[in-house]
Amino acid sequence: MSPHRPAYLLWLLLAAPSLWLITEAFRAGADLDLLTATSGLWAAWLLVAALALTPLLRLLPSLGWLRPQRRAIGLAAFATSTVHLGLYGAAMADFDAIFAEITTAGIWTGWAALALLLPLALTSRDTAMRRLGRGWKRLQRLAYPAALLTLLHMGLVHNGWQGALWLAVPLLVLQLTRLLPRRALPAQPKVPA
Amino acid sequence: MTMKLIVAALALAIATPALATGKMTCAASPEQRKPIAALTADLVKQGWAVRKAKLDGGCYEVYGTTPEGDRVEAYFDPISFEKLYVERRGEVLFKKN
Repeated sequence: MSPHRPAYLLWLLLAAPSLWLITEAFRAGADLDLLTATSGLWAAWLLVAALALTPLLRLLPSLGWLRPQRRAIGLAAFATSTVHLGLYGAAMADFDAIFAEITTAGIWTGWAALALLLPLALTSRDTAMRRLGRGWKRLQRLAYPAALLTLLHMGLVHNGWQGALWLAVPLLVLQLTRLLPRRALPAQPKVPA
Repeated sequence: MTMKLIVAALALAIATPALATGKMTCAASPEQRKPIAALTADLVKQGWAVRKAKLDGGCYEVYGTTPEGDRVEAYFDPISFEKLYVERRGEVLFKKN
């Protein structure tokens, strides 16, 4: 079991976009639409980072110290997604307007992605890991369909795929490197006990 | 090397969305354009709620709510104020032929 050593600087870094977005949102005359879009981009970015981490560390063993922080990155992705939802709600400022567009392809994909991330965040604790046993990993794999939905949400809602592709391509390439034979990779350091 | 490529890819990923361009272009020169405030006043009179209006691709781009209650992004000709394009969360609702 990884010890999840505290890495306060990294955690601060992971929380920084959310903290900044929230402060900006409370400013007079804040452009909530822009902040919504920006927060979504950060959330997508963090989710992709969490999913890219394992294959990335296989290529760059020197970044191995990041491995125990995968949970923190994943949780930051979820937290930033909820900030994104909060900003969206603030920008819409009206439940009827939110319901009216919920069936739009660009919108329901976002809701679905967040719904998939919720059980993952709730089970990101050692006790949940122990209790769920092998099922924990299967559950956490929902992060992949969540990422797919996130990228669809991004592309559809902006009616442009460029932003989503910049995340999708590196993620896909990194995932494909999982297929590389072990000997084609740099030597993996022994994890200190 | 790999590291450099990754850093470059990440930098682009962050920078690119900022360059998102308009979905419409209008050829009118700056002197020909009628004031954008006149467009938003017209729209409000028609029952729109306008949240933001700006120039994009030479057209006037308006973020607001239509009289029907749809939260949209719409493009208008800056001279005739003719509606050119309306999109709701990426879904094209109207496009002038």
